[in-house]
Amino acid sequence: MDRAFWRARVIKNHLTQDPCTQTRSLSGAPCLEYSPPELAEPAAAFDVAAMRALLDGHNVAERDWLFGLMTQSKLFNPRRVGGRVFVAPDYNQSMEQQREMTMRRIEFLLERGVFEGWLTAGTAEGELRKLALQEVANMYDHSLAIKFGVHFFLWGGAIQFFGTERHHVKWLRDTENYVVKGCFAMTELGHGSNVRGIETVTTYDPRAREFIINTPCESAQKYWIGGAANHATHTVAFSQLNINGINQGVHAFIVQIRDADGNICPNIRIADCGHKIGLNGVDNGRIWFDNVRIPRENLLNSVADISPDGEYLSAIKDPDQRFAAFLAPLTAGRVILAASAIYSAKIGLAIAIRYALSRRAFSIAPNQPEVLLLDYPSHQQRLLPLLAKTYAMSFSANHLKMIYVKRTPELNKTIHILSSAFKASFTWHNMRTLQECREACGGQGLKTENRIGHLKGEKDVQSTFEGDNNVLMQQISKTLFAEYLVARKRNKPFKGLGLEHMNGPCPVLPQQLPSTVLRSDQFQVDAFHVRERDLLNRFAEEILQRQAQGERKEHALLSSYQLAEDLGRAFSERCVLQNFVEVEENSPAGSLKDMLALLRSMYALTCMEEDASFLRYGYLSTENAAAVRKEVAKLCSELRPHALALVNSFGIPDAYLSPIAFNWVEANSWSSVQH
Amino acid sequence: MASFSSSNGKEDQVLVEKSFVRTVILNKPKAFYAAGDVVAVVHDINNGYWNSSASVFRKEYILFYLMATYCIPQASILNGIVMGAGTGFSIHGSFRVATENFILLLFVFAMPEIALGLFPDIGSSYFLSRIPGHFGNGQQNRQRHFIFISSLTEYLSLTSARLDGAEMLACGLATHFVSSVELLSLEAALHSVDSSDQPKISAVIGEYSELPMLKEQSAYNRLDVINRCFSRRTVEDILYALEQEATNEVDDWIQASLRSRKKASPISLKISLRSIREGRLQGVGQCLVREHRIDCHAMRGEVSKDFVEGCRAVILDKDRNPKWEPTRMGLVTDKMVDVYFSKVDDEDWEELKLPPRPNLPASAFAKL
Repeated sequence: MDRAFWRARVIKNHLTQDPCTQTRSLSGAPCLEYSPPELAEPAAAFDVAAMRALLDGHNVAERDWLFGLMTQSKLFNPRRVGGRVFVAPDYNQSMEQQREMTMRRIEFLLERGVFEGWLTAGTAEGELRKLALQEVANMYDHSLAIKFGVHFFLWGGAIQFFGTERHHVKWLRDTENYVVKGCFAMTELGHGSNVRGIETVTTYDPRAREFIINTPCESAQKYWIGGAANHATHTVAFSQLNINGINQGVHAFIVQIRDADGNICPNIRIADCGHKIGLNGVDNGRIWFDNVRIPRENLLNSVADISPDGEYLSAIKDPDQRFAAFLAPLTAGRVILAASAIYSAKIGLAIAIRYALSRRAFSIAPNQPEVLLLDYPSHQQRLLPLLAKTYAMSFSANHLKMIYVKRTPELNKTIHILSSAFKASFTWHNMRTLQECREACGGQGLKTENRIGHLKGEKDVQSTFEGDNNVLMQQISKTLFAEYLVARKRNKPFKGLGLEHMNGPCPVLPQQLPSTVLRSDQFQVDAFHVRERDLLNRFAEEILQRQAQGERKEHALLSSYQLAEDLGRAFSERCVLQNFVEVEENSPAGSLKDMLALLRSMYALTCMEEDASFLRYGYLSTENAAAVRKEVAKLCSELRPHALALVNSFGIPDAYLSPIAFNWVEANSWSSVQH
Repeated sequence: MASFSSSNGKEDQVLVEKSFVRTVILNKPKAFYAAGDVVAVVHDINNGYWNSSASVFRKEYILFYLMATYCIPQASILNGIVMGAGTGFSIHGSFRVATENFILLLFVFAMPEIALGLFPDIGSSYFLSRIPGHFGNGQQNRQRHFIFISSLTEYLSLTSARLDGAEMLACGLATHFVSSVELLSLEAALHSVDSSDQPKISAVIGEYSELPMLKEQSAYNRLDVINRCFSRRTVEDILYALEQEATNEVDDWIQASLRSRKKASPISLKISLRSIREGRLQGVGQCLVREHRIDCHAMRGEVSKDFVEGCRAVILDKDRNPKWEPTRMGLVTDKMVDVYFSKVDDEDWEELKLPPRPNLPASAFAKL
């Protein structure tokens, strides 16, 4: 009751009494004054440092070290605006200049020991530290993180996972020290997500004991190869392996493409991919191989090898299985993308919410001060549900990372499915959040220095690289269908991927949904289970029915794309809710746990409001759907006083936000114009 | 113009922002702070009253915060040895005028050339963590060139560093350097300024200012080595980097730096590094809150009693042979260090609560 009364008073104050009127009169002031949100907003109701520790999940001190380190060199382009220093690349530089700066920043980080142990440490702790540092670098600049990400995670990862001892000894240490600069030549002009369709061809010459790698046609040129256009000295080239006229499928080879002085090697042609809507600090290039000869040892031979006299050797006979086993370990990319998308959404929200707590527009009554943006319920509705989702996804990204660093072969399927689901849904969430935040900042959102608008271009690529989001989501439904078949046909219970709820009776959702029910985790989890169960049943039935009518299974799966899409989303959102509930359960009782409960309700109810499945298939009645929507509005007003503390808990240092997050009047004053 | 005193016991009320006060001048020619108080603190701790020292610190820190966010310009004339809390009383103000007689000893209980069980306090994780990575005069640093920060911060925090007037100016901790013979005229000039306009006051002091030469052996002339070594991730990495440098060239300065590190309390070094690295990303208020927590944990001694041990070895028994516990870096766990950054689990303990301020400068706000 006290709380409700307090809330009512706060809202009343916000609407009727500008806190600033006590110190200055509106008519007397010659111009608007910036008032920092810290002054007017209530003190944090929970421990912000503890919340940050929960959100970051691991290596907080290391993160702060790198944040600090990047403010310690001119290379990171510090700029003083409105009395504050901000760091961000100069995106007004030419593409070539930006690429050069990215490389020099990497050299600086290398010299300061940031990459130590990245390929040679080999412990779960070391791996978590690497992920944390990657996330921080990514918050400075996407190009920086992608450029060294390609080198360490793709090139280095390929050596680590596709290679064997002889490759590890020869390449890992040199990679960690940037003695060689690696890139990863998988995608071709004609084939992206469908790696098995690539057209590059490799044959073997037993007399010379060499492979000959060739680009047979224009659509086989390697495309989007990060690092290839300017800097990379070596690449992992993916190619069909043709032995004695038999195609053994896709294999990976180490090919040197430049000498130590940066000259392109003979029989290699390289061209630039040109200017892009983002990531211009990464030198994406195209590669053609003109019968390039490489030593036999350069085949990355984790699952298959060639004897010196040219006999193909593999323990896995089926090329499909061989290919799957080959690529399985390379999941780091999607794990990293899922996490990094959330950090980018955090930047957008921190800036837009801080701005909404200091920018006013329109008075609601004559002679009244203008209203703070975030005091408009509609503005709250635009930003606060996205804030709650970002919290929820943050916890899931941590969950995924923890499984990933402790991976075992048994966990491969879980990691593959979860990383696909989270990569797709989190990168989509990020793009949507950035767009909303950009609009919420009005014209200021357009300025590159304010980061949000620019981040849209930088991050857009995430929805298609490392697997097209739509293709990934289809894979999830396909996997769930396979699980369904195993369970139903062999009459075995569901096991893994959180599907155990399918084994019990279907939960019954209450007819009446008062606030207390809507906000209970039991109801929310039940509702998500009902949806996932029903969609999986419908999806499976539709496919089986189509098959019964004589359609091929592959065709039936494709034709049921509408249900597949709904099911993929239902699975992903249920996993996220589940992770959130676990985090909440593990928190000690107190104000922080209460805040988590509020955010969890906002997450769950927003998902229910947004997904038409709940109404389409009748999990909720129209009245209940209306009740959910009303509750979201109530949650918005309850989260409103905590908005500042919630974005402060992201732990993003000021220098990594932007001028509109602070004193935007001073930042734009005549005195700060550079003459 | 107003005179200023911090010793009337009502710290919260000392700084009153009244319109008739235009400038505050602090001028204590000898030492700003007496180490005698250390004995009292240790005495309190040994008698189980660490909390009473904590409350003294609390008042002191609130005062620093008020000074740091004070709307009226404060000019401190630093003409002698300034150490510990004395630093706090001056450094948080708007103008710090150093002379050739000036020596700064960092930290509350800093003692020359002896590594105590110490860590950055009095807001030093805030002001030290913003030292720019190049030469320049203080005023310029503040306005335009002070953009990127050097690892001098880590160096100063991890060594029992002292700075002279020229170095203070070079790193922006002093805003002006004035020869001591000019002090009387400067003070007279300041008294006659009828304005609290910062640029005006700066210009008045500027008329008496000069640019001093840095000494040959100044840390500022080693910036490349400092940046290379002290920017490393952990204390162990820093020591390793220093050792590598030492093997590459015979250099007394590096050897001295290494020796002082090896004498220091291992856990204090770890706490110090983490504290200033957090401080680099925070506002002055958050830095003071964190440092106050660390002070309290150190005095309470639930993880390590190095603080009291250091005081014993240097001030009480004067045997200069402290027995640290944990004895070496490898025995200090992250969990142990974490404790110093958390709230104190004690019913009587109070977190530092800073008063709301209407005039917070931009730099006072920061994330977490």
